[in-house]
Amino acid sequence: MRVILEAKARKKPFLPVEAESIIPRNFLKGTDITVYEGNKERRLEDLFWIFVEGTAVTPEKIEVVLKGDTSRVKRIGEYMDAGKMTIAGDVGMHCGNFMSGGEIEIFGNADAWLGREMRGGYILCHGNAGHYCASGYRGEKTGMRGGRVEVLGNAGDYCAEYLTGGEVHIHGSCGDMAGVEMKGGQFIIEGDATRPCGNMKDGTCMIFGTVHQMLPTFERTGIQELPDRKVKMTVYKGDIANRGKGVMMVKETVRPDE
Amino acid sequence: MTELLIKNACVFDPLNGIRGDIMDIAIRDGRIVDSVRDGSEVIDASGFLTLPGGIDSHSHVCGTKVNFGRYMSPEDMRAGRTARRGKMHVTSGYYVPTTYGNSYRYSTMGYTTVLEGAMAPLEARHTHEEFNATPHQDMLANTLFDGNWSIMEAVHAKDVKRAAAIVAWTLSSVRGFAIKLTNPGGTEAWGWGEDLTSIRDPVPNFNVTPAEIISTMISANELLHLPHSVHLHCNNLGKPGNYATTLETFGLVPDLNNNRQTLYATHVQFHAYGGSTWRDICSKADEITKSVNARPQIVMDMGQIMFGRTMTMTADGPMEFNLYCLHHNKWSNHDVELETGSGIIPVLYSKKSLVNCVMWAIGLELALLTKNPYQCLLATDNPNGAPFVKYPEIIGLLMSKRYRDEECSTLNNGFEQRTSISSLDREMDWNEIAIITRAGQARALGLAAEGKGHLAPGAEADLAIYPIRCDDVDPATEYRNVVEGFQKTRFTIKRGRVVARDGDVIVEGANATFWVNPTVPDEHNVANDPEFVKKFEEYYTVRMGNYPVQDVYLPRGRCIKTEADL
Amino acid sequence: MLIKDVVCPFCGCLCDDLDVEVENGRIIRGDNACTLGSKTMVGDDRLKAPIRRDGKRWTETTYDAAIEEAAQILLDADRPLLYGWSSTHGEAQTLGIHLAELIGGVVDNTSTVCHGPSILAIQEVGHPGCTLGQVKNRADLIIYWGCNPIDAHPRHMSRYTTYATGFFVKDAHRDRKVIVVDTRRNESADVATEFVQVEPGGDYAVLSALRAIVRGRGDVVPPSVSGVSREQLFRVAEMCKNAKFGAIFFGLGLTMTAGKNKNVRNAIELTDELNRHTKFIISPMRGHGNVYGTNEVFTWITGYPYAVDFSRGIAFYNPGETTAVDILRRGECDACLVVASDPAAHFPKACVEHLARIPVVQIDPHPNATTHICRLQIPGSVAGIDAAGTAYRMDGVPIRLKAVIETGVPNDTEILQKLYNRVREGKGE
Repeated sequence: MRVILEAKARKKPFLPVEAESIIPRNFLKGTDITVYEGNKERRLEDLFWIFVEGTAVTPEKIEVVLKGDTSRVKRIGEYMDAGKMTIAGDVGMHCGNFMSGGEIEIFGNADAWLGREMRGGYILCHGNAGHYCASGYRGEKTGMRGGRVEVLGNAGDYCAEYLTGGEVHIHGSCGDMAGVEMKGGQFIIEGDATRPCGNMKDGTCMIFGTVHQMLPTFERTGIQELPDRKVKMTVYKGDIANRGKGVMMVKETVRPDE
Repeated sequence: MTELLIKNACVFDPLNGIRGDIMDIAIRDGRIVDSVRDGSEVIDASGFLTLPGGIDSHSHVCGTKVNFGRYMSPEDMRAGRTARRGKMHVTSGYYVPTTYGNSYRYSTMGYTTVLEGAMAPLEARHTHEEFNATPHQDMLANTLFDGNWSIMEAVHAKDVKRAAAIVAWTLSSVRGFAIKLTNPGGTEAWGWGEDLTSIRDPVPNFNVTPAEIISTMISANELLHLPHSVHLHCNNLGKPGNYATTLETFGLVPDLNNNRQTLYATHVQFHAYGGSTWRDICSKADEITKSVNARPQIVMDMGQIMFGRTMTMTADGPMEFNLYCLHHNKWSNHDVELETGSGIIPVLYSKKSLVNCVMWAIGLELALLTKNPYQCLLATDNPNGAPFVKYPEIIGLLMSKRYRDEECSTLNNGFEQRTSISSLDREMDWNEIAIITRAGQARALGLAAEGKGHLAPGAEADLAIYPIRCDDVDPATEYRNVVEGFQKTRFTIKRGRVVARDGDVIVEGANATFWVNPTVPDEHNVANDPEFVKKFEEYYTVRMGNYPVQDVYLPRGRCIKTEADL
Repeated sequence: MLIKDVVCPFCGCLCDDLDVEVENGRIIRGDNACTLGSKTMVGDDRLKAPIRRDGKRWTETTYDAAIEEAAQILLDADRPLLYGWSSTHGEAQTLGIHLAELIGGVVDNTSTVCHGPSILAIQEVGHPGCTLGQVKNRADLIIYWGCNPIDAHPRHMSRYTTYATGFFVKDAHRDRKVIVVDTRRNESADVATEFVQVEPGGDYAVLSALRAIVRGRGDVVPPSVSGVSREQLFRVAEMCKNAKFGAIFFGLGLTMTAGKNKNVRNAIELTDELNRHTKFIISPMRGHGNVYGTNEVFTWITGYPYAVDFSRGIAFYNPGETTAVDILRRGECDACLVVASDPAAHFPKACVEHLARIPVVQIDPHPNATTHICRLQIPGSVAGIDAAGTAYRMDGVPIRLKAVIETGVPNDTEILQKLYNRVREGKGE
């Protein structure tokens, strides 16, 4: 079953829409779904043109496609557990929060908090991701626990904050403090990073670009070769300030600047 | 003139010796009366269990450190959120709910009076503001004196009258209700990052011992004829082997009052540990209860822990720091100049932890081994042991051995050797439950005289009607019905108004704040003592004139005046 | 007439020892106040009546008409923002929150541009602090990090820290050491025992290095961190460990430079580490006189200290999403009520541009930068001058502000109560 939602033009296009009800499972019951625009309750058809192709009896067989200007539509895919969601353009904040299964593919850019507190499943963002990609929630000690987040573009600040499990793969560069408070999981940054892995407790972070403002409390422990990539990585242990036992590996040919 | 008649109530009113009589209760203008006119509004209680409104004698719900707990826990706030509905405001929080959250949940459970466990005099205004935002329970404040500099000076000078005069001035200035001592002397030592390890350890720089502070304050309390006794959180909370400190402390207490206890020892579960390390910790509930059973001058409350996440928050700063060193959770600390301290840290009580299982058992043992239910009251030191919404489960456990056995079978294997819980057959009855959740509190707090905790004509019309038919339910086997029944009243009535019905609060609240004003002769009034004033202005960072809590903070204050024997 | 023990409402110090001289219903002098306090108490330049923008002109209007119009603006909005609160009394703040709850709007306070990051850090790792009297009576080491008290909190040093005599610190000058950490040598550095100059944006790294040194792993620290020599880092760590009672006070140098809440978190974790060796506290230098009060009131009512969104009925909190600056910058609100603050003066340009596009109502007695972009301004009395009420000092101590003069001007609570009632009627309740 394919559900295509095309965003209608809105009178106040900058007001955020909260659409946590847009997950594949909810379309098993039809398209009578509620979304919110500011403090007003709206029906799905008020904000989207709806086209449904085929039927399904399980959420695994449902694909939801979003078209048009969805840059302000928040919480899409929240608590998603099965099925596929495709967003043709940009997507608003909190896409894929608490996701535990299924797949989300974003062709444009993702706003902040993509994949927050994810437990499973796969998110692929072709464009850039905003701040707090694959992070945790304020006050919690645990962030993303499982699943995979892959961003082909760049990510903003605090990417993979509190990463506890699962995998985060940024093909571009990260902003400030990527991997801060990390305590598990795998974090790969193909591009550059600034002040990565502050307060790291555990987990592994690999950076293939340039590290700017390397933090002073990481201890160099040696060199490791990665045969499948044919590169040598300088290996650091840290964050010593936090009694951390995490591993940060930085591609050797590009010296981290102080 | 508003009149209300409750018909067919199955009443347990221990203070008046009523045990399960089916009767009518007449209410006029907020008080119980003999009868009302025909045509008054009628509520049919349908034979349901009807008790005086619940009284919590030790709960942390209002004030600086409670708000610290909320503030630093957005992850708890999002765990329990309700939207605005009818007369009910938005609420948030599960183990540290917002003030409206607390008030509605207490009301749903039939509670109409709450004693805030700890209020620092310097920050009393904050507590009173939160009292006004907890609108469905009458509130009272335990006022902290454990690290009070001028008290310690009086103790050092062995001047009980002076101590009493300071207490009198402080309580009336900040509209407090009772003397609270938390880790006496220890909170001052914590001002330097230290703690005390026995009640005979001298407080650094002040050279008085906790034993001296406790004894002096007990005497001062009785000189002032305060409604409640000294309310004590013993030294060495939470440390393996601390039962010895507790017993030694109990040994200090004389019997000075005919109407009530001379010492209220709070959350004693945390103070009843044998062994010497976390590895060999065991229950000493038997020794503690032996001491209490022989001493009518002591009343305690359980301090029951329940499994799950919760927040610890007490004035016991050093203890909270120790928890931080053990678990590395986020830790807040707030020492209050010249007065006391506090610490806040979240905690998880786990069935997999042997220590936690022993702690859980101890609380229940204390209640079951204390012969006189008036001497061991139900409390969890909310939220330290568990959020108060867990009280119904505790009631279920106390009334049913089968429930206890079922719970024990899910716990860490090793714990049974460390406690005697499995061998205790006692099952409390409805009358005893009514005592440990309201009648006992009313007597211990001296509030029966104010019309709380009982239902004789003249009493305040605070009632809870629970959807339980005592003859139809066997609490020993049908404990789930008991738990459910105590979770949500059919009706909660406060001062003659129905405030909650089946879980919905239906009116705006208008609670009262009870406080004491012990009058002392002018020559003892410390406000007239130039030395006292000089020291105040020199060492505090607020002016003495700005310290007292103004009338405006108690829109419906109920002042209990007493005459001091100085 | 002399009124003693008056509370100055201007900054987070909330000095309550002012002696105020009142003559003919006006304050003519405030003794013991600093220059900021004096200007607050004595200076006066208020609107005499509510004003309404009429094209390019302003006309005076009545309180009732202004409140009526304000209520309509709020009722029509799909996402109203209620911002400010920090200079008014707690009673008004309470109403503001209930109003936001009623209309399903966003309510935020000035922490959003000041110590919001400190709050975020506290939510991550807690706050090991105390009341200011503990510092006055015990502290032998004071650290000012990223703030300039001589300029922004002029009496902080004399009332609570550097120059304040205490029970255990009889000779403040001799018995106390002061460390100032900043990117430039400010006026506070001139009175310090030790000045540490950090490169802009380098505080996080310096704090990490100090933590490592304090826990005995100074071996990993390089020769220089953000412009601070290893030698100085070790010296500062020693001073901290040898203190009997250390106190760190910090300001926007940490909260508003790269890293923000992570900078503050690192400073708190340094304090935690130091507590294993000696007694140490850390506390933020709150700016507005009653901003901490706003945080307290927000918290006990909603569960969250600022940035609360009621659009979905429940309280939702997410700084970065529900904060005024972010909402305005992204154009995500369609009406704004401003109370006791001046966002047009403090917010980024993009935010002010959006404010200029939407209907804005301001409750404030003073013509200010926000006046230029609002549609209606309603003057209330000033908490601490002609209105009494509760305020919370930077360390959490609640103090009652006095009404020193009577002006007959309605206070913020009265204005907001009328607005609340009118909005309720409008919603059919």
